[in-house]
Amino acid sequence: MRFAIVLLVVLAIACSIASLVTQGQSYEWYAQRYSERTAALIIALRLDDAFHSAWFIAINGFLCLNLMLCTLQQLPGLIKRTKAHKLPSEMPDAQAEGIDDPEKLFVKLGMRTIVRGEDGEGRETLFAAKNRAGIWGAFVCHIGILLLIVGFSLGQMTHGEFTAYGVPGQTRAVGDTGLALTIDDFSIGLREDDTVEQYESKITVTDLKSGASETASVSVNNPADLFGMRFYQNSTGWAAKVSVLKDGLPLDSAVVCAGELLPIKDKPELIVYFNAFYPDLVMVSGVGPSTASGQLNNPGYLYSVYYNGELLGMNVLKDGEVVTIDEYTVAFSEPQSYTLIQIKRDFFAPIALAGGVVTLIGLFLAFYLQPQKLWGVREDAGWTVSASCRKGGKLFKERFLNAAGRKEA
Amino acid sequence: MIHLENVLFTITLIMYLAAMLIYFVFIAAKKDAVSKVAVTVHIAGLFIHTAAIVVRGIAAGRLPLTNQYEFASAFAWGLSLVSLLFIVKFKFPVLGAFAAPVTFLIIGYAAMQSKTIHSLMPALKSGWLGVHVSTAIIAYGSFGVSFVLGIIFLLRDKLKDRGFLDQHIPNKEKLDLISYRSAALGMLFLTFTMITGAIWAERAWGSYWSWDPKETWSLVTWIVYAVYLHLRIRRGWRGRSAAIFAVIGFICVMFTYVGVNTLLPGVHSYA
Repeated sequence: MRFAIVLLVVLAIACSIASLVTQGQSYEWYAQRYSERTAALIIALRLDDAFHSAWFIAINGFLCLNLMLCTLQQLPGLIKRTKAHKLPSEMPDAQAEGIDDPEKLFVKLGMRTIVRGEDGEGRETLFAAKNRAGIWGAFVCHIGILLLIVGFSLGQMTHGEFTAYGVPGQTRAVGDTGLALTIDDFSIGLREDDTVEQYESKITVTDLKSGASETASVSVNNPADLFGMRFYQNSTGWAAKVSVLKDGLPLDSAVVCAGELLPIKDKPELIVYFNAFYPDLVMVSGVGPSTASGQLNNPGYLYSVYYNGELLGMNVLKDGEVVTIDEYTVAFSEPQSYTLIQIKRDFFAPIALAGGVVTLIGLFLAFYLQPQKLWGVREDAGWTVSASCRKGGKLFKERFLNAAGRKEA
Repeated sequence: MIHLENVLFTITLIMYLAAMLIYFVFIAAKKDAVSKVAVTVHIAGLFIHTAAIVVRGIAAGRLPLTNQYEFASAFAWGLSLVSLLFIVKFKFPVLGAFAAPVTFLIIGYAAMQSKTIHSLMPALKSGWLGVHVSTAIIAYGSFGVSFVLGIIFLLRDKLKDRGFLDQHIPNKEKLDLISYRSAALGMLFLTFTMITGAIWAERAWGSYWSWDPKETWSLVTWIVYAVYLHLRIRRGWRGRSAAIFAVIGFICVMFTYVGVNTLLPGVHSYA
């Protein structure tokens, strides 16, 4: 138990520290933000990816092991206590002597199932218990936490995650799953105030092996399950048609998303990079190109050209404008939104979810089902009734004494 | 509608301030009748606050739980509700004198935030929003009450005029028990908040847990209360140590709410 508390405290401290360090950055980034010494420390301690580091996994591993042993250790005692119907040997929280009608007192306190018996001295006894399930609270809670950690960890180790993006009509491979995703349609629902209400993609997923295909519509908060994988509407961006002409004749044409490269077909050392798109281009002094709105009022395409990996130039083109490099001419046109679909497979997520629900049930049992016991022994001067409650004994004691017509000393 | 909401919100602020001052007068004057007035004003404030939240919800056409102002207001509402429940259930008006200032501070924080109603971004358009945030409000409110009870516990022996206090503040054993009950309620609802948040995050962002600062600090808060409850149940930690834990726990709650939003932006930055 003590070790579990230590582990929990260490875990809380580790999480707090990790949350203060921006995750997933490079040494240079940390050095620029903090200092070289701090950056070296961050990298050495793996604080740059703390939640996947060996020490973090080890803390969770020890916690799981401890929880498991603790839970197993508790089990026999819990079973024994659940089955027990004899008079408890524990000290009662309260006692009332000289009770004439103990059964009435039992019923008053909600104990309707009363077990009659005799004690070792041959005296008549009564016993009743309520909320016995409450003793299982901590056990159930521990099982829930175990399931949660195990489900989450296995999910992290085995899940498959892919992305596919494109404009309607394009088909993309879904990683190495043997599935292909075709974007049938993509729409952005706008409100009157120009804010986005919803992004929605209509997709067809095809199993390349069997040829079977399924279609679905995905939007934010409404993923679709196809071929055992879950498809999410993740984000969107701009794409445009990039046309390349050689000596005035069409050479190549493709829909390219902002952030993508287009190698020239017969001259791969020449690359056009589509940096960014501005639907309503404005040139802001000191800032450069920007967009005045999300509407396609004045499309502007920021591009850069590389030759053998060396930047030749960077500029913004408008619709109808072209850039000429040697015998090649490049033009951008037909801007449109592309959709980015996230695809995920996590067989263990339901286990983690079940763990969460079981934890919740365990907490409810632990906090709100307080195991209460009443037992009475017939003596010469009447019944002596005792009461005990494992949790919240003080309040139960008050209720018991009130019901027995006694005042607390 | 917005004007009405502003008026109701301002009245709420005034009512909570008035309730706080009347609770102080009750302690200073040591008159039970004053405590009844304080509780009545506090309850009236809660009703007007509820009306303000409902009016905002109607004006926005959605649950008003999606930005800093709305959540701070709802947090104050939750704290006000839970503290009143404990005041009435345990006949403990002195609790109001400690809970009302915290409520007033939180609603004061709300008053400093932008009240502009924005359209919801697609990720927030989910039925899980109401469940996730409303359970968070109850959790935070319960932890707030546990914190206040912890403070009362720690101050109890330092306060003068034992006769009046013994009459109006439960004994230490009971105070400790009420604080535990409040923390337990908060723990249950925080767990529920985290589970519903995970289910929602999975649908909206494709990942039910991504170590976002808000998620991480919710976990830290959960661990702090788990340790507190564990030590209390298993090791019999009571009294002063438990009261100090209740205070530390609420500091984590406040950091999760205010600190994370301002210092550690992530996917929860709007909340």
